[in-house]
This record gives sequence, C-alpha cells and structure tokens, in this order.
Amino acid sequence: MSLTTGPAAPQAAAVDKSPHGGGKSGRTRRGNRSLSRHNLTGWLFSTPFLVLFGVFMLFPIVATLLMSFTDFGARNVTRPLEAEFVGLDNYTQLFQDDKFLKALFNTGYFVVVGVPATILLGLLAAILLNNGIDRARTLFRVGFYAPVVTTIVAVAVVWRFVLDPSDGLIASLASEVGLTAPDFLGSETWAMPSLIAMAVWRNLGTVMVLCIAGLQAIPAEVREAARLDGAGVWQELRGITVPLLRPTLLYATVITTIGYLNVFEEPFVMTQGGPSDSTLTVSLDMYREGFNFFHMGYASAMAYVLFVVIMGITVLQLRLLKDNTR
Amino acid sequence: MNRAVATGSIALTLASALTLTACGGSGGAGVAADAEQTLTVWAMGTEGEKLGDVAEEYEKSHSHLTVKVTPIGWDVAHQKLVAAAAAGKLPDVVQMGGSYLGEFADMGVLEPVDTKTVQEDDYFPAAWQQGSYDGKTYGVPWYVDTRVLFYRTDLAKKAGVEAAPATMAELRSAAEAYQKKADTKWGLSIQPGGLDTVQSFYQFLYSAGGTIIDDDGKAAVNSAAAVKALENYGSYFDKGLSEKSVRPGYDVTKDFNTGAVPMFFGGPWLTNLIDENYPDLKGKWAIAPVPADEASVSMAGGSSLAVSADSDHKAAAKELVAHLTGAKGQADWFERTNDLPANKAAWKTGDLATDPTMQVWRKQMDTARATPSQPKLTEITSKVDTAIESVTQGKSSAKEALDKAQSEIEGLVQ
Repeated sequence: MSLTTGPAAPQAAAVDKSPHGGGKSGRTRRGNRSLSRHNLTGWLFSTPFLVLFGVFMLFPIVATLLMSFTDFGARNVTRPLEAEFVGLDNYTQLFQDDKFLKALFNTGYFVVVGVPATILLGLLAAILLNNGIDRARTLFRVGFYAPVVTTIVAVAVVWRFVLDPSDGLIASLASEVGLTAPDFLGSETWAMPSLIAMAVWRNLGTVMVLCIAGLQAIPAEVREAARLDGAGVWQELRGITVPLLRPTLLYATVITTIGYLNVFEEPFVMTQGGPSDSTLTVSLDMYREGFNFFHMGYASAMAYVLFVVIMGITVLQLRLLKDNTR
Repeated sequence: MNRAVATGSIALTLASALTLTACGGSGGAGVAADAEQTLTVWAMGTEGEKLGDVAEEYEKSHSHLTVKVTPIGWDVAHQKLVAAAAAGKLPDVVQMGGSYLGEFADMGVLEPVDTKTVQEDDYFPAAWQQGSYDGKTYGVPWYVDTRVLFYRTDLAKKAGVEAAPATMAELRSAAEAYQKKADTKWGLSIQPGGLDTVQSFYQFLYSAGGTIIDDDGKAAVNSAAAVKALENYGSYFDKGLSEKSVRPGYDVTKDFNTGAVPMFFGGPWLTNLIDENYPDLKGKWAIAPVPADEASVSMAGGSSLAVSADSDHKAAAKELVAHLTGAKGQADWFERTNDLPANKAAWKTGDLATDPTMQVWRKQMDTARATPSQPKLTEITSKVDTAIESVTQGKSSAKEALDKAQSEIEGLVQ
C-alpha cells in the first residue's frame, strides 16, 4: 500500500485556477470530423495499451465479478466450468460472517485513526521543512521520505525491534524510567495502534512531499501581505496555508484513505492478523480466503464489497471536501 | 470504441477459457524412459537448492537426461503450484508438502504411484500416509520430519531436573522447576496462537490419544482425549509457564541460547541451526522423545515426490523418483541436508545407524502420526488454531473451543 503518486497534479490544480481551457475544445472537435484514417492510427497506437489493459485489468475485473457469484474453489482450478452458480449467496454469507465483520471493523478503525494522523503529521512535516529548518532541509526531506521507498520486510525488522516486549527499543526505554511497556504486537488492545503507527510512519512522507509542492506554489506576495497586516504564525496557517493547500490536502486524504482501506502489508508481515484476529483487515481476510483456503468465489465477493466501500467513501470525501473550496 | 473493447475482451475471455479447458486433455503415451529428454523438477526451500547437486550426479549416470531443478520458496510454493496446476504446467516431478497432497490429488493433477513397484513397508507409516489420498497413493515419501523435546541440560542441573521429562506430568514439573530454581523466564515454549499453532498442539493431542480427523474421515476434535490435551496445553499459559503473546517469525533458538526458554518442541532442522549459530551452546542441550501421556506420539510432516499427470516424461520421471526415494538415495540425501529419510532401510547406514541422537528421531518416527490428506486441510487446521488461541488467551474453555471447532470442521471434511 505505498502511496507514491506524482505530486504535480493537485499542485497544478491548486495554482492554475483561471479557466483558460476554451481553446483546446475547438481543436478536439476538428479532429473528430475526419474519421477513419485518423482513428485507425489512433487505435494502432493505443493497441499495446489496450491489450495490456484488457489482459491484466479488464479480464481479471470481469472474471472476479463472475466468480463472486459462484462457489469457485480449489478443484475448479483445473475444471473452471464446473464451478456452480450460487447467485448472491457469497454476499449474503459475508454479512453473517463474524470474521469478515470484524475485519471490516478493524479496517474502519485503521482508516479513522490512521488517515487524520497521516495527513496531520505529513502536513506538519511539510510546513516545518518549508519554513523552519534551513540548513539540513534536504537531509530531513530524505529522512521523512525514506520510509516510503523502503520495502516492508526491512521496515518490519526495524519495527519488530522497536516494539519487542522483552528487549525492544520502547521496552528498554520504558524500563530505564521504571515503567513496563505493553506487549505491543501480542496484545489485542495494542496490536492495531502499533500497526497504525507503523503505517503513519511509512506514509507521512508521501503526504509531506505533496504538501511541500503545494506550499511552494503559494505565492510569496500573499504571505507577505498577510505579515504586513500583522498576522501571526497561527493566523497565517489558518487563513492562508490551509485554505490554499486544500486541493492538495483533499488529494492526499483521498489516496491515503484508499490506501488504508486496502491495508494488507502491515498486518501480514507483523501480526498475521492476530492476536485473536484483532488486526485482521479486509484485504488480509480476502487473501486468506482466496489463497490459503481457495474460496475464490467468496474472496471475489469480498473484493467487490471492498470495492463498493472504497468507491462510496471516495465519492463522499470528494463531495464533502471539495464543495468547501468554492 | 466501446464495441472494440467489448469485442476484444470477449475474445480474450474465450481464448483463456479455451486454454484452461484444453490443458486437461493432454498426456497420452509419452516419451520412453531411455529416450533423450529434459526432466523438470520443482522443489521447495533448502531441498530445492540442494537437489541441483543430486541432479547433476544423476545426469552423469543417465547421459540421455537433462534434469532441470527449479527451487521455489515455501512462502510462495502453494500459490505457484496451484497456478501451475491450473495452467497444466506442473513440472514432471514435483515436491509435495504433506499438507498439499490431498488438495492436488483431488484436483486430478497427480499421477497415481504404482504400489506394486513402490513398497509401502519400506517407509514409515506416517510418511506413507501423507502420500495417500482417498485410498490411492500419489506421492512417494522423500523425507520426514517430526518434533521432539529440546531441553537445556546445564539449566536442568540447576533446576534439579535429573533426566529428560518422560511423561506429561514430569514435563509440567520440569517447566516449573526451570522457572523457579534456574531462573528461566519461561518454562516451555509452545505457540499461543496464530497460523499453524496446531503444530505445537499435535504433540499434546496425539500423545493424549486424540486426533482431528479419525480413521473413518470424520471430525473428532472434541473427543474427551482432545479436550484433556487442550486443557493441559492451555494450563501452561494460565500458570505463566509459556509466553502468551504471538510474534510471527519468532525464533525460539535465540531464547533457547540465552536461557529465557529452557524447553521447546522442535524439528530436525533445528539441531544444525543451533550448532551453527550458537557453537557455545554445544554440550549444554539435548533432545528427548515427546513426554508420554497415553503414549509418546509426535506429529509427522515432510514431503513426498509426485509425478504430474500431464507429464510427457512419466517413465523417466518415475525412475528419478525411485532413485531419490530409495534407501541409497535417501542416505545420500541425509548427508547433504540432514533431512530424515522416510525410507526405513536408509537408517541402517552411517550416522543414521550409530548416532544416539539420531535414534531419538528414529524412535519418534515409528509412532509419529500424520494428519490425513484432505483437500481442505489448511482450512481445517486453521479452525483448530483458532480454538487453541481462544484457550491460551483465556477466552474460552477447552471444551467450548473444541466443540465449536468440531462443528466447523464437520462441514469441511470429505
């Protein structure tokens, strides 16, 4: 669930508000008139993409949908056409499945706590780097961004050391001052917050990069004007930085939410969903049902439920957050 | 545009449907054993890495053959095999983990073993059972593994434990003595929960006379013996003798070395691992058979070798399998990997016959039990994992947990 995406798009949206797109539409219309030959060339050039898209995206998407209405299992691997059509059974069964409901709850928990933390800390890091630290700016940027590009397995080794209840970093620090650190990954209460902390640490770099790009696009004159009017740091942040950064923050929130709704790697490498399923997420549950137990039909239904949830939440976020910018 | 995409995708769907269905039908007579040919072999983990050397030597005495060995990591093995089975692209010879066999035999992608030429009596009963499914044999036992008790002899002295615990009651008192008198953090390391916890539990379950699926193929996980075994297992956590928290990737040998854990149940690969990583520990530890309850019964794992049903090189593939699973081949394999031979005759030579620690493994294998081959074995054992975890975490009694597992497993056995 790494959230690396080009920072250019939202930043452009942030700055380039004047609607001078009018000239372009005319050109497109002219192109459309001389149909056949131009189209053929176009199709020819798009073919490689379309083929790859068809094979690796469209086909699996359609196959998954079809599979979600069947009882596709291990024996159907060699006899796919023998899979039985079960209608909506997989879907109705899902919502009676305690394990899935727990996974759904856990995923919600992850998003509700993780997304605000990631955005807030990412924004904070960006503001600090953009204004505060002058000397070692590059070093800090790399430092914050490094977790984003580090493989999860290496990250897991480090975090296991940090969280280890007997000789880990936190445990030894705590014992220095006479406290006992909880058994982070072994306790049902602490396992999820520990994984969220790890995910926030891994992803705040992405948000930071997006925000730095956005911050640098805010014209210096606006800030100067505010300062001349006597605005303090807090007022500048509230009145200028955050509002002008809104499109960037919206984008960051949406991609972080999507990423966290899909969260898989952290519980997979750190806890395997345990203890007692307290860190079982929808993606992990789906992986288990699909690849450990080979309930392909059931796992496909899960995939589509997750898809609908993500789609719903994304649309909601875009509605709620975007309208306020006007 | 829509129409083109639609046509394209329909064509694609049809094409893949055709390839998927077509692969079931191939096979036929195939190539003779002595013809020039290339054999493909897939093996997992360490086996996959070391098998290449054996293959090279085999090629020397079989100049008409090229043997191509592909090592696969255990972590991706299952998925890779399923994908290959689906595409009809399984190699000529494939290593089958004990828990895989039922699933692949059920898919119909494995060639039945000719039991007239491969004799059941040559192998440990538990090893043979792992190659069988639904009354037929699909895999020839290659190597076995089982669990025995690893314990610290130096700390045992401190704790006043004279000899290796021989019964479950002695195991408990030894764990207490270690913790009290030898100042160890824990008494015994057994897994509290998570994936494959059942592997720790088998020693308790089988020794108490319980089982997950009985000989008639029916779920039997809530029998009185099983409940007693799980109560015993859970009591180690109740009393603080075993660690309650789960850490995936936990390496018990580290704590064994520091003395935090004085006893654990481990497999044959660990003897070498401890010797190599902690040379200072030499002479301070030993292995002993699983402490007896009704009897001393350990779990049996391991792998068999199977020939793909689709292979065009079945004759040569069967010869290779016969070589690898024969007494001589397995003795040689033991020298290379320390994998325990599944072929009883192999134990009559070299270290296998004389080394006293090897005799512990040998004896344990005689009575070891394998889980029966079931297509849904992974799912079945995961229900037991859940039951164990709810007991070790103090959430339910052994009886309740196993009753629940029983009703779930009943729907999964065939």
